[in-house]
Amino acid sequence: MTCRNSFTTSNRRDFLRRTSAGFGWLALSGLLGESTRAAAAGAHGSPLAERAPHFAPKAKRVIFMFMQGGPSHLDMFDWKPALKKADGKGDGKNRLLAPQFDYKPRGKSGLMISDLWPELSKHADDLCLLNGCHTSNAAHPQATIAMHTGSVTFVRPSMGSWIVYGLGTANQDLPGFVTIDPANNLGGAQNYGSAFLPASFQGTRISTGARGIANIANPEMDAKEQRKHLDLVQEMNRGLLARTGANPEIEGVIESFELAYRMQTSVPNTLDLNKESAAVKEKYGIGSGGTDNFGKQCLMARRLAEKGVRFIQVTHRGWDQHNSLQSKLQQNCGAVDKPVAALISDLKERGMLEDTLLVWGGEFGRSPQAQDAKGTGRRHNNRGFSMWMAGGGVKGGLRYGATDETGGTAVEGKIGTHDLHATMLHLLGLNHEKLTYRYAGRDFRLTDVAGTVVDDIIA
Amino acid sequence: MRPTAPALLAFALLAAGFSPTVAAPPSAKETAFFENKIRPLLAEHCYKCHSADEKVKGGLLLDSKAGWEAGGDSGDAIEPGNPGDSLLIKAVLHTDPDLQMPPKYKLADAEIEALTAWVKMGAPDPRTGDSGAVKQASEIDIAAGKQFWAFQPVKRVTAPQPKDAAWAKSDIDRHLKADAEARGLQVAGDANRWELIRRATFDLTGLPPSPEDIAAFVKDPASDDDAFAKVVDRLLKSPQFGERWGRHWLDVVRYAESMGRTRNVPFPFAWRFRDYVIDSFNADKPFNRFLGEQIAGDLLPHNTPAQRDEQIVATGFLALGSMDLNERDAAQFKMDQVDEQIDVTTRAFMAMTVGCARCHDHKFDPVAQEDYYALAGIFKSTEALSGTKNKGGGGNYYQPQFLATLSEGDSKNAEEEAQKEAAAQRKKLQNQIAEIKRQLGDKKKSADQQQLRKRLKRLNQELSSMGANAGKQNLAMAAEDAKNVSDCKLCVRGDPHNLGEAVPRGFLRVAHYGGEPDIPTGASGRLELAKWLASPEHPLTARVMANRVWQHLFGRGIVATVDNFGETGERPVNPALLDHLAVRFVEGGWSVKSLVREIMLSRAYRLSSGDVAANAAIDPGNDHFWRQNPRRLEVEAIRDSLLAIGGTLTLERPHGSPVQRARKGEIGKGGGEKADERIDAPFRSVYFPVIRSGLPEMFESFDFPEPSQVIGKRDVTTVSTQALFFMNSDLVREQANGAAKALLARAGLDPNARIHHTYAHALGRRPSAAEQNQAAAYLQNFLREAKDKSAEQDAWSNLFQALFASAEFRYVL
Repeated sequence: MTCRNSFTTSNRRDFLRRTSAGFGWLALSGLLGESTRAAAAGAHGSPLAERAPHFAPKAKRVIFMFMQGGPSHLDMFDWKPALKKADGKGDGKNRLLAPQFDYKPRGKSGLMISDLWPELSKHADDLCLLNGCHTSNAAHPQATIAMHTGSVTFVRPSMGSWIVYGLGTANQDLPGFVTIDPANNLGGAQNYGSAFLPASFQGTRISTGARGIANIANPEMDAKEQRKHLDLVQEMNRGLLARTGANPEIEGVIESFELAYRMQTSVPNTLDLNKESAAVKEKYGIGSGGTDNFGKQCLMARRLAEKGVRFIQVTHRGWDQHNSLQSKLQQNCGAVDKPVAALISDLKERGMLEDTLLVWGGEFGRSPQAQDAKGTGRRHNNRGFSMWMAGGGVKGGLRYGATDETGGTAVEGKIGTHDLHATMLHLLGLNHEKLTYRYAGRDFRLTDVAGTVVDDIIA
Repeated sequence: MRPTAPALLAFALLAAGFSPTVAAPPSAKETAFFENKIRPLLAEHCYKCHSADEKVKGGLLLDSKAGWEAGGDSGDAIEPGNPGDSLLIKAVLHTDPDLQMPPKYKLADAEIEALTAWVKMGAPDPRTGDSGAVKQASEIDIAAGKQFWAFQPVKRVTAPQPKDAAWAKSDIDRHLKADAEARGLQVAGDANRWELIRRATFDLTGLPPSPEDIAAFVKDPASDDDAFAKVVDRLLKSPQFGERWGRHWLDVVRYAESMGRTRNVPFPFAWRFRDYVIDSFNADKPFNRFLGEQIAGDLLPHNTPAQRDEQIVATGFLALGSMDLNERDAAQFKMDQVDEQIDVTTRAFMAMTVGCARCHDHKFDPVAQEDYYALAGIFKSTEALSGTKNKGGGGNYYQPQFLATLSEGDSKNAEEEAQKEAAAQRKKLQNQIAEIKRQLGDKKKSADQQQLRKRLKRLNQELSSMGANAGKQNLAMAAEDAKNVSDCKLCVRGDPHNLGEAVPRGFLRVAHYGGEPDIPTGASGRLELAKWLASPEHPLTARVMANRVWQHLFGRGIVATVDNFGETGERPVNPALLDHLAVRFVEGGWSVKSLVREIMLSRAYRLSSGDVAANAAIDPGNDHFWRQNPRRLEVEAIRDSLLAIGGTLTLERPHGSPVQRARKGEIGKGGGEKADERIDAPFRSVYFPVIRSGLPEMFESFDFPEPSQVIGKRDVTTVSTQALFFMNSDLVREQANGAAKALLARAGLDPNARIHHTYAHALGRRPSAAEQNQAAAYLQNFLREAKDKSAEQDAWSNLFQALFASAEFRYVL
């Protein structure tokens, strides 16, 4: 027991104390063995200032499309001819249920995608289907929390907060991590929380319905009046600074007011979908019943991505088809297909697809067996399911990994939760084993003590 | 994979020093086969994850004979002579999807054949040398570990004499001043009375001083020492002291009013624990008594039913953890709960991160896995009554039958009324269920049937959740001894289904003083654990709490990592001072108030927080307390100050919690309605319901600690959402309006006097001439440009709001 870690600790702290001129240095006091990260943050002041990745990144930002409930991979992205043949075999709870929709080869790559995704299928050559996904738990809450934080057992920071902790964010006028219309339950705020990471890294919840962020507008003062008022506040702050001498925290307060002032313009501008043409809105399905909400989420996501937000999550709920699989999947895909396709083509048009990583998936998948002897749905299945990625340095037109013959268990190219996170971090230029934060005497990681980067899907 | 019974037996035999395989030494031919075929193969494909020099995945070592003979977590790897029964062979064949080695590729057929042949010939292995695993078990050296500063007995030290002896007012000062002199640090000047009363009032009550209190102190003709002692004594007596210091403790014990995580079920009676903590600090309950009640209050003797109730409520400490109610595996759930209880107990009272030893010996601290399971036996023999029970899957909700019943309710009337209400509700549910059942019999349309079934399920859940205690109000979260009290078996790598030998219940060996623990059979050991922790001889308890107290008065502990006194934590910057405080704390009968008073009356506490340029090269971070630290107020103090200055704060304690009245389903999923409180609710923030994953926006943006985790030191971040809050929120505007209205209602004040009042209320001081001019200019300009009649009120509201927004408002200097 002679190993002492205090060498790193004290050096880092002294370093920060000597160099940090701006705010948030306290927020970074948990950084260990991450001197470049700390140095960059110290120089720019803000805890959200952009930081260099560990190595050259493929992707600069992430849009995570979370499909809560357990989307049935077997009816959409995991083509299983054997399951079709075996329809009805097995008794009672073991009765196999054939895929409910036909599959066709799509694009030049010939990726097999079912008829549920006519629009998305047009982008098949950009998609990287991950058919070998698995997770440790088959219950919604645990699997949802694991997907977002990597841990079922403990309260841990969410992947978005880890990423913003690692990289900061490009646009200081907007939050670095935004989640649009997230679920209230199934972990709720834990899924975009920062746990033991400083609060600067937590996700900002935005609603498609309201004005976006709390307190973003002043109900009484006009812009001119408010500027004068703010000038008074800042004069007071500078007066305090003059009395106390250099103080990074008070400098930070001064800076935070200027940022907030700019945010009052930048946030509503970014979220204002009326700035988009009618044609664009139509493309996302905004204004027509089924696609309206998710279309708004996707278009907001694109606008946030354009402005340099690092991690954006959109959420579509209701993929838990224990029954009426056929009609409900049609309904869900009807709501999601068009907006997702619009997002991909929009990003492509803007030259942003190559450095924006899109990740689509739920917390788990569904069983090849029907819900019960007569059931029209499928049960939960954590042993094998599908996700897909696009853009951001992944190979397009690739079907990676596989489940067994009837699609129940991942057997090849397996990707567990930690592998998924490790790969996402890798694409962003972060080594998942080096992105650590010291808490309660231990260096924590998003990937705990596991995780393997899936090299084969990287372009 | 679960170990089979024979595998466990083999493990036990090995542990006892027997070897199940008694093989003759390998022949020359066998040795050659091993060296040519097997050793290179193992080295190339297996050592990376299964050798003492690299990793020991799955607990299996393949770099020594003893290693594979001992087997791994899944049991024996090789059955000599029997490839069919050997897991090693099974693994390399890749037939079982859950057991495939090497994990990323398959060995060549020839290699698999060689391995199979080797096992068949009895696995002759000429390698000698110990198994790394055996070595590992004895690696923790408790005697050596005890040499670490934190496990050394607290030493009574004579304070050193600083050269400038006249400067010091107490031993605390002598320790600090001598240290500063030795380091060549120049100590800051004294704070003025305005600064001092604001600092003291926030530190002791979390509220700003009233202008009257300030005036009385500033004008007090008594000496600085006497005048300040009066202030401190007054504040220590105020009931707001417990609200402030109780909240500090609630941070440490991860207090919350809902389960959080997968099934965020409300805790309708958690507030009793909150009130208990506040009352204990107000009553200045000796800290070792306070500790004992939280760990084993149910086992302590009592004289009155009220005392019994109080002690039972205290054990809510063990039931407040955030658990994954959806965990289907009962053994896993229990061990997770035990882990949570070990974590909070060891970190809160000993600042030790014992939880690391759940799966393996602690990597940094002298805590062996056996130590962990010795403690685990105590908590495994304890039942946490949290009003919930995990069932796995659906059907997890509030279940009042799993709560403790107190002797006395809140009031007889309230009790009866609640009972009546519950009876009516039960009747109503029963009727609804009967009606649905009747309809289900009638109708045939499947869509309707589905809807009805769903409703029926929900109603049945609601009915069963009412349970025996439904409607009762005299309930509390608590802990009690389990029906089955026993030692806990060591979980290999933390897996509750891979059990090793039972470890006798006990404490943390490295912190032992005096004799070995003596836990009577049939007792959980909680009482003994509490007594062990509560002793003056314990090397950690008094130090850890004294350090927490110091941190709350200086913004930084003498050990900066207040929850971690271990190897990975920081070292005390002034060990003699820490021990001095610990000794004084114990001698003062573990009185928190006496310790707080002693520290506050030191000269060190009363220093200015201004910078001393000469120290920049030596100690720029003020590690050695040569000045006070400017400190950001906590969210509670910010909100309470706003309400106090805006004239809307009531100091009365609200009864219970809104969570009591909330629907008892999952928060955000048909439950928790009415648990939300408006952010401008007039009571103190400590009474705001703490819903896990459901904190008010303001709390989140001002660094309220994550209520699932032990957090003795809050983060201080500066983010733009805080600025937006001060610029635009209704709460700030309303309080500014209230303050302005009250100011304008006072007769006979000219604008200058009004500006003075504004500063006195908002910042607790007089404005400088420059500030006076600044404010006057702003007001004049505003009034000149304004058109409507409410302009004057708006102008003063704006000035108040500007002061609220200023950095000084949210800092204690």
